[in-house]
Amino acid sequence: MLYIHQSTCISAQQTFLDVDINTLHEAVDNKLKVIEPTYESIPPGILRRMGKVVRIGIGAALPLIRQATSLDGFIIGTANGGMEDCIKFLNQIIQYEEGVLTPGSFVQSTPNAIAGQLGLFTKNKGYNITHVHRGLAFENAIIDAIMLLTDHPGNNYLLGAVDEISAYNYNIEMLSGWYKKEPATCKELYQTNSIGSIAGESAVAFLINGDQANAVAQIVAVDHIHTSDISIIENQLKYLLQHYLLAGEKIDILLSGENGDNRLLKYYAAIENITADTTVARFKHMTGEYATASAFAVWLACELFQTQHIPAHIVKNQTSEKSIKNILIYNNYKGAQHSFILLKKEN
Amino acid sequence: MSRIVVTGIGVISAIGNTVAENRTALQEGKCGITSLSLFPSRYAGLMPFGEIKITTQELQERLNAKEPGVTRTSLLALHAFVEAIQDSKLSDKDMRCFDTALIGASTVGGMCLTDELYSDANKSDKGSDYLASYDFASVNIYLQERYKMAGIVNTINTACSSSANAIMYGVRLIKSGRAKRAIVGGVDCLAKFTINGFNALHILSPDICTPFDEQRKGLNLGEGAAFLVLEKEEDAKDKKIYAVVSGYCNCNDSFHPSSLSDEGDGPYLSMKGALESANLSAGDISFINAHGTATENNDMVESKAMLRLFDTIPSFASTKSNTGHTLGAAGAIEAVYSILNLTYQEIYPGLNCKEPIAATGLLPVQTYQKRALQHIMSNSFGFGGNCTSLIFSTI
Repeated sequence: MLYIHQSTCISAQQTFLDVDINTLHEAVDNKLKVIEPTYESIPPGILRRMGKVVRIGIGAALPLIRQATSLDGFIIGTANGGMEDCIKFLNQIIQYEEGVLTPGSFVQSTPNAIAGQLGLFTKNKGYNITHVHRGLAFENAIIDAIMLLTDHPGNNYLLGAVDEISAYNYNIEMLSGWYKKEPATCKELYQTNSIGSIAGESAVAFLINGDQANAVAQIVAVDHIHTSDISIIENQLKYLLQHYLLAGEKIDILLSGENGDNRLLKYYAAIENITADTTVARFKHMTGEYATASAFAVWLACELFQTQHIPAHIVKNQTSEKSIKNILIYNNYKGAQHSFILLKKEN
Repeated sequence: MSRIVVTGIGVISAIGNTVAENRTALQEGKCGITSLSLFPSRYAGLMPFGEIKITTQELQERLNAKEPGVTRTSLLALHAFVEAIQDSKLSDKDMRCFDTALIGASTVGGMCLTDELYSDANKSDKGSDYLASYDFASVNIYLQERYKMAGIVNTINTACSSSANAIMYGVRLIKSGRAKRAIVGGVDCLAKFTINGFNALHILSPDICTPFDEQRKGLNLGEGAAFLVLEKEEDAKDKKIYAVVSGYCNCNDSFHPSSLSDEGDGPYLSMKGALESANLSAGDISFINAHGTATENNDMVESKAMLRLFDTIPSFASTKSNTGHTLGAAGAIEAVYSILNLTYQEIYPGLNCKEPIAATGLLPVQTYQKRALQHIMSNSFGFGGNCTSLIFSTI
């Protein structure tokens, strides 16, 4: 059993520490870049050497680490790790024709640098892993966490996900047709009727253990599949609902990963069809699109559980005003990687 | 609980394209570390590498893998993957069912295509065929799509311990009931990215590496891939069983982003944890396939950690003196070598160590030997303090 006790999120919205998600912060140049905190607890010398993805990953995790009485390890999902540093180093290789280079960017660019630095920062010698399976990196990290907590229910882990927009992956995704060519706004993301989305990034962290007492939420199930066949995805959802919802229970909110890419609407429509009569809410206008956006959705679900309030700008259609107990996240990355995360409110 | 066993293995490295070729080369003490003849790099004449002497085009032909955007990394992975699944006699149906998992590891992914990536990342006219091939997951997604796999697929990156963690993760998936079988392994190919990265850290040797030698000058980078098929013992009754994956431990050294602590806490704890998970004591280990990169830091720290844990140090050696350091593939390649040790009850010589490290006096195995072996430990340590040890046992 995986119970979430605390969560933090550094995103393009006001999600860190003093949370206010009723006001929407707009994208600039089709990018939703994170609002970075001041990182007062990281020594300036160390902070300067950190690449952005390491900085925001550690920034999100630190408040939770301070609150944890003990920590048994770090489980991080990131598709690309330090992309900015990676390409910075690559550019040096090309521009200096493999001349004498400085290793800083190379070391910062390895995706395990976030979990590694967290281990280093906290002198934590426990389990330490980085899952990098593109749009399912965070989902695989959750599965890892569930397995760990099944074997060690008394342990505490930090589960997190980080990805960044860099000028370079922005270019590659743009060339691939995953970002919109025309100017787009968050407010009207879902009305664009064109291909692609807007770019996004975030760092999200959860303090988890196997103890139900005082938990905010339970991750009841996580399931993922790689396919473009809608019927397989539909069957997977039906199976999940049958097996993991108690008799008489239903989904109160479907948190949909709809991202304004008109090629993917058919998948979201098929899912909404199955969860008919459920309130549908969306989050990609808050975050933009990136491989670990589903981690933001889990953070948002925890927020909705605690406040029992759905900000107006996330609602696609609302069926009834009732308490929020079960939230299903459906995310779809590039039409190929699909995931379901089912969360239940605790306490 | 049923034991998790290995029913198929596949490997390609600088010392051979198949398991059989690798074994012969290990028996003969062959070193695959040479001058670069295929990979274009400024360092081609300056330092040796564990290069696989098959062109990317030839790999495509041999494997009939001509999909647009396929990289050398994916091709090397496919080569070892095919050998492993054929060895385990997995049917098309086995491959497609929802309880066959694929857990792979890579630290380079499609970044082997440095020049294409540079162009795609910096230009805005039109992209290359490789836009979807640069990330770490691209390799496993390629294998998954080629074999229409429907089970859990995951990619792990913990630097040089990546594929040891992929093996450990596969075992845990099966034990947890999330998969009936898991194909686990890793791949990396030579890339300007890693060559220049390690060179900037001043840990590449200008000569052929000499693990555990007092005069060692650093590591040689290599390329390769290996995959293992893991199943429950009870599901493998009719199959050839190579070995049991009996112990594993992942922990962190939490000392420095790119080097190990003097005391070797990470290596010590991962070896100790693996013993505990296997319910073994240090004296039960017959042989250690050491991480043994031949850097100043690793070999000293790994030696000290072994001295801390073992009253009497078992025989040990590093096969990186044969293959070079294959980074994300190393844990899986060395798992296959450990399994060969067990299967044929033989140990292979560690090459090029003439003078033991003065402070520890430990000398790796020098000659090929037939030996009764029951439990073999394989170490993998990486940047970010990521340390993982595995134990393979006879059935």
